[in-house]
Amino acid sequence: MPVIAVDAMGGDFAPEEIVKGVAGASLATAIECVLVGDEPRIQAVLDTLSYDPSHIRIHHAADAVGMQEAPREALRAKRDASISVGAKLVAEGQADALVSAGNTGACLLACAREFRVVKGVRKPALASVYPRHVDHPGQDPLALLLDVGATVHCDAADLVQFAVMGNAWARRASKTARPKVGLLNMGAEPFRGGDVLAAAHERLAALPAIDFIGNVEGSDVAEGRADVIVCEGLLGSVVLKFIEGIAGVVNDVASYAVRQRLLWRLGMRLLSGGLREVAHLTEHAAYGGAPLLGFEQLLVKVHERSRAPAIANAVKLAAKTVRDGVVAEIAAAVQEVRA
Amino acid sequence: MTGPERRLGWVGALRVRRPRRRAAAMLAPVVYRWDLDKTYLKSDFESLAKMMRVPFERAEDKVDEPGVVALMRALRAAARAEGRRSFVYFVSASPPQIGRAIRDKLALDGVEIDGIVFKDQLQHLVRGRFRFLREQVGFKLAELLKARLAAPAGAIEYLFGDDWESDSLCYSLYADVVAGRLDHQALGDILVRLRIDPARLVEIRSLARKIPTADAVRRIFINLERRTPPGRFRSFGARLVPTFNYFQTALVLHEEGMVPLAAVVAVGHSLIDRATFTRAQLRNSLDDLVRRGHLRTHDPALRRDLEESGVLPSTAVPGWWTQRLWRRLRRRRSTPRPLPAKRPVVIDYPRLLDAWLASGGRPGEAAS
Repeated sequence: MPVIAVDAMGGDFAPEEIVKGVAGASLATAIECVLVGDEPRIQAVLDTLSYDPSHIRIHHAADAVGMQEAPREALRAKRDASISVGAKLVAEGQADALVSAGNTGACLLACAREFRVVKGVRKPALASVYPRHVDHPGQDPLALLLDVGATVHCDAADLVQFAVMGNAWARRASKTARPKVGLLNMGAEPFRGGDVLAAAHERLAALPAIDFIGNVEGSDVAEGRADVIVCEGLLGSVVLKFIEGIAGVVNDVASYAVRQRLLWRLGMRLLSGGLREVAHLTEHAAYGGAPLLGFEQLLVKVHERSRAPAIANAVKLAAKTVRDGVVAEIAAAVQEVRA
Repeated sequence: MTGPERRLGWVGALRVRRPRRRAAAMLAPVVYRWDLDKTYLKSDFESLAKMMRVPFERAEDKVDEPGVVALMRALRAAARAEGRRSFVYFVSASPPQIGRAIRDKLALDGVEIDGIVFKDQLQHLVRGRFRFLREQVGFKLAELLKARLAAPAGAIEYLFGDDWESDSLCYSLYADVVAGRLDHQALGDILVRLRIDPARLVEIRSLARKIPTADAVRRIFINLERRTPPGRFRSFGARLVPTFNYFQTALVLHEEGMVPLAAVVAVGHSLIDRATFTRAQLRNSLDDLVRRGHLRTHDPALRRDLEESGVLPSTAVPGWWTQRLWRRLRRRRSTPRPLPAKRPVVIDYPRLLDAWLASGGRPGEAAS
């Protein structure tokens, strides 16, 4: 059974919600978790919870990087920060993957310092699953979007590599033999979006290993035309946050309607089940976080506002990824394209 | 060599040497009192259908909690090796109709007992007093006090229960009554608040007056079968040890000087062989116990011993065989010297009962 290191001190609700998530996972699965952080604080939280001690280890780390701290400076000043220690445990082979809800910049930097990059990978990419429209029965209701924040701007070669890594992930994770890969752009024509995107389009279209469907637009993201959508980090992050914001908008619209008329209130009551479904679909907690692809070791980055269920799902996702050998598959796919 | 000793190999035989017989006269007799369901047996009461099946189960259908048999045998064997008198009793709120199957099960497991008491539910049914069918504190406390009166003078006691019913409260009351820390008036008030059978109340008051005062109960072990958060038992004091498995229980008993290291090894191997525990899981269980403060020492030698006997995953380079042999020869005592009894915490029963009753009598719900 895989061993998953969990940064207990990262996130808006750390360590309580992180420890609670791990305690829940310890009862529901046989995954061994190593909680990295302030041992007395972690144990104090565990004492108030139902848990299985045989599936939980605590590795003490005296420091923690705050959510608002500048990553580089914080990691330099706090040598014993939980995220650094967690990344080190994974790099040394004491754990198979790392889960963190902490400061994204610090997570990426700590991993970049401790993890080994897959041979041939230029830049790692943070990938996130998101809900999409299902066209036919049996189609995976989740699609993959990458990069969502590991980079800011990329060149064509980076985007091609993201497509290769995303394709390998989707083949394993959603069991789709030939996932459809799209390039996020402002129009369907191959020359759209400037030199970088046009060059990436040309190179992806020439890759036989990938089922490239061409450019996809903003409206196609939710439509579900592609199983894997590739874009640079800045754009991906904006799209992801927009999707997460939908749940809030649905709630606001519903509250407005309820206040206005009795008839609308009754209508809302009838629709409430469906609205809850929509809110659930866009709820980040259900999807288990974003894997960082391109390293020989695995980081699953969870939303900063994550609570216990999201952490438990992230632990399960990390364990499944390790069991399925996804990282090795990505490395093989990258090598194949290079050759 | 016995089973656990054989597992330790030829050098292990040197280590698991016969415990030095302490002067028998100095060793107080020891009484182990056990609950049955969820403590010894993995009884399944989760649904009415499963509950109805229990009386019809045969001995071979009954399943024991992982590691409990190895621990019970080790407790007896350790006492015998030291020349100490030991007694094992069960007090169960199950009906006496299942008695035969239970005795057969204990015989099958090779566990020697000195007595077993069941709750006569029939008298409550006949009299239509259905409220008392599920009442446990009054029944158990009365039976424990009766048994104490019959126990050898100066006997020390270890109590084993679980987190399903009221064992933590009942055993703590018993320990404090025997120790004279709970006066008769206070005990009466508590039992009235718990609404126990009035006939039992009279009996308990009378028994409590006759009990010779002695700080006899050394430890109360609560098997966290339903995974109750351990922090909820803090208000019961350090005397009560909530444990997640019998490897943890064996570790505490080893530190108390009640069982040798071979017993901890035997329980560990029993969990690995019969309950699909891994060595890493046992190491995590040990670490959990240390973090919760129930092992007084973070003993590297104990850890190394357990690693060398294959119960914990190996972490250290073992070194030359001569070094290993020297280490083993140096560890002359496999059963550590008994530690002085912990200073008992004065339990705030009125406050504990407020929380207990507010939570509907769920175990460990008392405010910590």
